[in-house]
Amino acid sequence: MRRGGSIPSRAGFAVATALVGAAVLPGIAHGADVEFTATGIEASFTSDRNVSRSSADERLSDTFFGVRVSKGFLLPVSTRSRAVFQGFAGGEKFRTYTGLSHAFIGGQGDFQYRSSAEFAAATFGAFFRTQAEYYDSELRDGYRHVFGLSVLKPVTDRMQFFGALQQNISDGKSTVFDTKSTSLRGNLDWSLGRSDTLYLGAEYRRGDIVSSGTQSLARINVADALVQDDAFSDQGYLAYRFQSNTWLATLGYNRAFAERHSVDISYRRVQSKPLHPSAYGSVSDVRYVVNQLSLAYLMRF
Amino acid sequence: MKPFGQLDDPRRRILIQALTAGFFSTPWGAAAQSIFGSAPQRLPPGQSIYRASGRVLVNSQEATLATRIKPGDVVETAPGGELVFVLAEEAFILRGESRVVIENPPPSSPLKTALRLATGKLLSVFGRGRPTRIVTATATIGVRGTGVYAESDPEQTYFCTCYGVADIAANNDLQSKETVSATHHDRPLYITAKGAAGGRIRRAPFINHTDQELMLIETLVGRTPPFVFPMNDYNAPRREYP
Repeated sequence: MRRGGSIPSRAGFAVATALVGAAVLPGIAHGADVEFTATGIEASFTSDRNVSRSSADERLSDTFFGVRVSKGFLLPVSTRSRAVFQGFAGGEKFRTYTGLSHAFIGGQGDFQYRSSAEFAAATFGAFFRTQAEYYDSELRDGYRHVFGLSVLKPVTDRMQFFGALQQNISDGKSTVFDTKSTSLRGNLDWSLGRSDTLYLGAEYRRGDIVSSGTQSLARINVADALVQDDAFSDQGYLAYRFQSNTWLATLGYNRAFAERHSVDISYRRVQSKPLHPSAYGSVSDVRYVVNQLSLAYLMRF
Repeated sequence: MKPFGQLDDPRRRILIQALTAGFFSTPWGAAAQSIFGSAPQRLPPGQSIYRASGRVLVNSQEATLATRIKPGDVVETAPGGELVFVLAEEAFILRGESRVVIENPPPSSPLKTALRLATGKLLSVFGRGRPTRIVTATATIGVRGTGVYAESDPEQTYFCTCYGVADIAANNDLQSKETVSATHHDRPLYITAKGAAGGRIRRAPFINHTDQELMLIETLVGRTPPFVFPMNDYNAPRREYP
C-alpha cells in the first residue's frame, strides 16, 4: 500500500504529531492524576453495496477488512469534569476496488462535564478529532477533522441515549475531496441483558458529499468540483463533489463474552440527495443509496 | 436527590401510584419494565424488590415485586435469573445461580447486616456507619459504608472493594488477611481455599460488574456513589460514515 508519499509535509506532520504525542502524553499522564483506558482492538468485515457512492444504475459493491487500535487516558479536571484523550490507528483493505484501501492515524480529545453522580445525570462533552488518511487512491489522501458537542444520558436502567452536533471537515489532496458538512446524530443503546445490547442510530448530515459515476448532465450541473476518480479508473468514473442532504440509519447488535470481548453486527443504510438539484438531466443520477453490513470483533485489555 | 418522604417528583409519584394500583404486579406491566427498563428512584417504604428476572425464590417461595425481604430470609436465583433488591439502607444485585442468606445479627452485635453468600455473585452497597459482615465459602469480609462485589464458589472468592474500606480474611488461614481502602475498584482480590499460609489472597482483575450498576442500586436507597464518571467498558463499534 502506498503511504501518501505525494504529500510528505502533511504526512510528516501527522506522524511527528503522533510520535510527539506518544512520547509526551504518557509523561504528562504519569505526572498528573490520570487513569489509562484499556487498549481497544477492533477487527471488522464489511460488505458495502455502493462503495462508489453512485446512483442506482452505476453503483459498485465491494467488501473490506478493517482493523483499529486505540489507547487513551483520562485526566480529571475537577470533581465533575475531566479530559479524555485517545490515540488511534488502523486501516481498511478493500478486496476489489483497492484504491479505496487506506491507513489512518489520529487522535481525539474530549472535555466532559457531569453535574452529579446520580444515575440519570447527563454527561455533556465537547470534542475534537483529527486523523490523517493515506489511500491507495492518491486523490483521497489527506486529513479529516471533526469537532462538536455531545450529550450522553441514561434514559432508563436499560436504555442510554447519545447525541452529538458536529462539524465534519475533510482536506484531501484533490479539491473534490475537500468537504465540509454538519451532522446531527443520535444513538440509543438498549440493553437486552448483561451481555446483549441492541443499538439504533440516526444521523442527518447537510453539506458536501463526494459521489462517483460516469459523466452526466445532472452531475456536471450540480457539482462544485469534479475530477477523474483514480479509485474507479477502470470504470471511467468521475468523482463529483456537491452539496447534499444525507440521512443515515444504523441498527446494530453487540454481544459481550469472556468479560473483555464482544462481537458486533450492524446494518447501515445511507440515503443522499442533492441540496440544489439541477434542472437539467435525470435527478436519479445525483441520488445514491448505500447499504452496509458489518461484522466486528472487539477486544479490550 | 430529594429526601426520602417527599413526593414532589412527579415520576416518583407516578411510580408509587402504579405500585399501589398493582401495575407492576400485572404480567404486562412487569414485562414492559423488564424489557424497556425504568428510571430508578428511591424505593418507597414497603417495597424490597426493584427488579426480578428469571426464577427468583425468597424462602423457597417464588418472588414477585410485592415480596418483602427481611433479615433471616434466604434468597436464591436460578441460572439466568437476577434480583435487584433493598434491605434497610443496603441495596443489592444478586445474579443468576446464587444463594444468599441474610442473617439476623443479635441486638448486642455491632453488625447491622450479615450476609452469607454460599454460592453465586452479589453486588452490594452499604450505608455509612453500618458495619456489615459478608461470609463466603473461602473468606470473611468486614465492610462499612462501601460498595463491594463478590463471587463465591467452594474453591475461591472474587472480591472487589469498589469504594470504601473492607477487611478481608481467608476462612482457613488466619495469616491471610488484608485491609483494602479503595476509591474506584483499586484492588480486586481472589481469596482461595487452598494455598500456602499467608498466601491465599492475591490480586485479581476487574470483572463482571459495572459502575452503572453501582449507581443504580445506590439510587434505590437514596444515595450516590463517590465517583461522578462511570467507567465505560461497553464499546460497540461506532464507525462513522466518511
